[in-house]
Amino acid sequence: MPKSGNFIRTIALLSLAAVLAIVAAGTAGATPAKKSGTTLSGAGSSFVAPLVAQWMAPIGSAYGYELQYNPIGSGGGVAAVTARSVDFGASDAPLTADQFSACKGCVQIPWALSATSIIYNLDGVKNLLHMDGPTLAKIYSGQITQWDDAAIKALNKSVNLPSTKIATVHRSDNSGTTYNFTDYLQTVSPAWKTQYGRGVAVNWPSGTGSRGSAGVAATVSQTPGGIGYVDVAYALKNHLKFFSMKNRSGKFATPGLKGILAAATSDQKPESTTNELSIVNPPKKYPLAYPISTYTYVIVPTSSPKAADLRKFLFWAVTKGQAFGPKLLFQPIPKPVLVVAEKTIAKIKS
Amino acid sequence: MSSHGISPAELRAVNLPRRKAVNRLMEGLATVAALIAVTILGIVIWSVAKRGAGALDLNLVTRAPVPFAFGPVKQGLANAFAGSLVLVGLATLMALPIGILVAVYLTEFAPPSIRNVVSLALDVLNGVPAIVIGIFVFGLIVIAHGQSGYAGAFALACLMLPLVARSTMEVLLLVPSSLREASLALGVPRWRTTLSIVLPQTVGGIVTGTVLAVARIAGETAPLLFVSSLAGTKTSWDPGHALQSIPVAIFELSESPDPQDHARAWAAALVLLLFILFASLGGRWLATRSRRRLSTSR
Amino acid sequence: MASAELTPDAARRPLAGRRLRVGDLSLQLVAGTAAALATVLVGLIAWKVIDGARPALSHYGLGFVTRIAWNPDSRHELYGAGSFLFGTAVTSLLALLIAAPLALGIALYLTELAPRFLRAPVTALVETLAAIPSVVIGFWGILVLGPALRDHVEPALHSALGFIPLFGTPSQTGSSIFTAIIVLAIMILPIVSSISRELFLGVPRELKEGALALGTTRWEMVRGVVFPYARGGIVAALILGLGRAIGEAIAVTQVIGGGVFIHWNLFDGGDTLGSKIAASYQGATTKLQLGSLIYLALVLLVFSLVINAAAQWIVRRVARRQGTGLNRGGVG
Repeated sequence: MPKSGNFIRTIALLSLAAVLAIVAAGTAGATPAKKSGTTLSGAGSSFVAPLVAQWMAPIGSAYGYELQYNPIGSGGGVAAVTARSVDFGASDAPLTADQFSACKGCVQIPWALSATSIIYNLDGVKNLLHMDGPTLAKIYSGQITQWDDAAIKALNKSVNLPSTKIATVHRSDNSGTTYNFTDYLQTVSPAWKTQYGRGVAVNWPSGTGSRGSAGVAATVSQTPGGIGYVDVAYALKNHLKFFSMKNRSGKFATPGLKGILAAATSDQKPESTTNELSIVNPPKKYPLAYPISTYTYVIVPTSSPKAADLRKFLFWAVTKGQAFGPKLLFQPIPKPVLVVAEKTIAKIKS
Repeated sequence: MSSHGISPAELRAVNLPRRKAVNRLMEGLATVAALIAVTILGIVIWSVAKRGAGALDLNLVTRAPVPFAFGPVKQGLANAFAGSLVLVGLATLMALPIGILVAVYLTEFAPPSIRNVVSLALDVLNGVPAIVIGIFVFGLIVIAHGQSGYAGAFALACLMLPLVARSTMEVLLLVPSSLREASLALGVPRWRTTLSIVLPQTVGGIVTGTVLAVARIAGETAPLLFVSSLAGTKTSWDPGHALQSIPVAIFELSESPDPQDHARAWAAALVLLLFILFASLGGRWLATRSRRRLSTSR
Repeated sequence: MASAELTPDAARRPLAGRRLRVGDLSLQLVAGTAAALATVLVGLIAWKVIDGARPALSHYGLGFVTRIAWNPDSRHELYGAGSFLFGTAVTSLLALLIAAPLALGIALYLTELAPRFLRAPVTALVETLAAIPSVVIGFWGILVLGPALRDHVEPALHSALGFIPLFGTPSQTGSSIFTAIIVLAIMILPIVSSISRELFLGVPRELKEGALALGTTRWEMVRGVVFPYARGGIVAALILGLGRAIGEAIAVTQVIGGGVFIHWNLFDGGDTLGSKIAASYQGATTKLQLGSLIYLALVLLVFSLVINAAAQWIVRRVARRQGTGLNRGGVG
């Protein structure tokens, strides 16, 4: 008995010592001096997450910053930066007046430009089927339930649509992409405007909720007959089919760089105080415009201990960083907007 | 008894075939139930093993994740493995001493009234759902100070505490009173008796209880979601900031559209499962061994 | 007084007739503080959850518990726990309904029917099912169980039993209340079965052998001796399983599909208290929304406490009546 008792005791003490050693060595290794000033942490929009992910390596080699980003949704990003638990927040939905005052001295800077694609999972049909706003609104409000509905057939006369049921997928978290999508729906459908309106979350009448653009892409790709809305970079990356949407001039536009640029041309003057821009459903004179395009914003406190690093990072992001955009279908931000963005970045001081 | 002149023995014989058939049916159903349980377990473990083994390589533990990688990139979940080690290690450091002390108090010192109250508190603590513990620590620490590994470890420690206390108590109660009495009769003070005579007898049981508790919390996701989930991709051992953990990583990857992400999640799930199985079965084996030893030494 | 009488009781009473020692007092103090901390922790949990729910508590009062709404629309923000309470009740009860007979069957098999060499391995296997983390079962549910149910089981159930509103139109995504029910049943199966197994093992052999000697079949013996003897414990085991199902958040949120509806079709999506909280972990936009989320946690906490208290009370009653080793205490 004494032998095995000693054995067990030794094993126990050794394991405890090992755990303690690992924890001690590890925590000692991560010294505070190393962390301050070189880690920039951000959270928020999953819409812009693909682009921010592309920035991590080049920013590291250019300035030595370690860029951390958590795509928890625009709502979560605004909450996180308001609580100062991250250095910057990202949101596709512009801040409301209440959110501005809660954030206590934050500025909003448009730092990327892309589009929300409407993805679908339907076997045997081609990519880039036609869709228009009112029909889309009816699908999401549950009035159109099958793929071979007359309204969809009318838009796609040469296509053989199956009678599969439509499974709508929406965002379950507080999402700027939802804001962009519902912003579009409420401009093209008065019924949607009264019943659901626009917001980072609305009272969906039916359908499945998924977390993040990644979640929506996952659910649609695993659901025959599914339809969803995600940043076009996710559709590209996961080889999902998406619609070409009918714009105000009657043409069917795709969420490519040309379509996004045309939409962006419709509003090049950011709001004086909030810097917000609205390029949803642009007027007739932009025939190439994709009607569900949007800017996405970075929310930064004007005074912060990392102000100098944030300024450097953001200047880089809106200039050199834009070059990483096109292959993900992020259109580099146009010059007039860039000027305003740079002016606002300069306001960030320690 | 019978109005038809049939004796009880004959009555039994008449019903016997039916009763035997019912009996066989029930035995069959019970066997089928056991088969179903074993089959489900087999299916789950087989799914994890098959899909996980395919994606299992050293990269999983040595490389950091690369979000939105276009094309094949060598990536892994190093940050989650490191984070889990730190979180579980810290949680054990927090829960183990308190758990042992509570057990000592309950078995050696507490009058029955206090013993009932504290015991009840431990039972209640055991019954609180893990997600509520997460919300509790969120309100207690995270709202004011942000997410951190310390908060995550504390949440896991709250789950561990009742398990460690209960298993230590069981093993303390198995130590024969004759041992205590002999020591006290020799003039050894109470505190020395407890620390040097009684507790060393229980080390095996304490280790077992701790191993089982660690197996339980290693796979917990809910308490960490609100408390230690906004972590970076780089491997970090610093509990001052939020740390990624294996269960949370699996949770996040499970909702991704990318089959590569799923593959890594399966591999991580396999490693987690193997660790938990090894720890649970090992712990149980240790438990039967130490209990057998203690009870035969009475 | 009784300085030399070392009865077991006296050995445990700290100050019985001997002088105070600093060492004894310190150990008692330190250990007592730890016990106090553990007790205070429970109160702290309750207090912090109530405190966090206050924005919603003061705004909605108790009406929150039954209101069926979760509308984050900034124009008419409105929250309520009603649909999630319904979801919790439906998923947990139906999961128990499926798991209970299976668990009892397994326990019976292991105690009465299995050949001796199979007992230990099969027992270990069933307990291994309990050790699988919920996130792994949920992940398996998303990629394996969900599609299997969607493609094969739900259409079959719908065509066979479609007249019952429970089995309406099959889901298209594989995530549904039905999938969540199956997942929960898998998770509570081992708990109920292992407690039942210990109960059945505790039935005195003389009672069982006596019945068999009177000529009963094995099933009649189980029905007439084992079940009545273990009845209280079985009820406690079922309640403990129910408590486990109620508190499960992760696996459920992975497979349940999400939604604020109350409808009878099991193949639609929905949410439970736990799954709604877990689904919102990435942040709430307004103070009212955060308060409402924590209010959900408060409701969940109250329900778990009630259920576990019921189980504990039954266990204590049965233990007092029969003096079995049932008061292991704690849930599985």
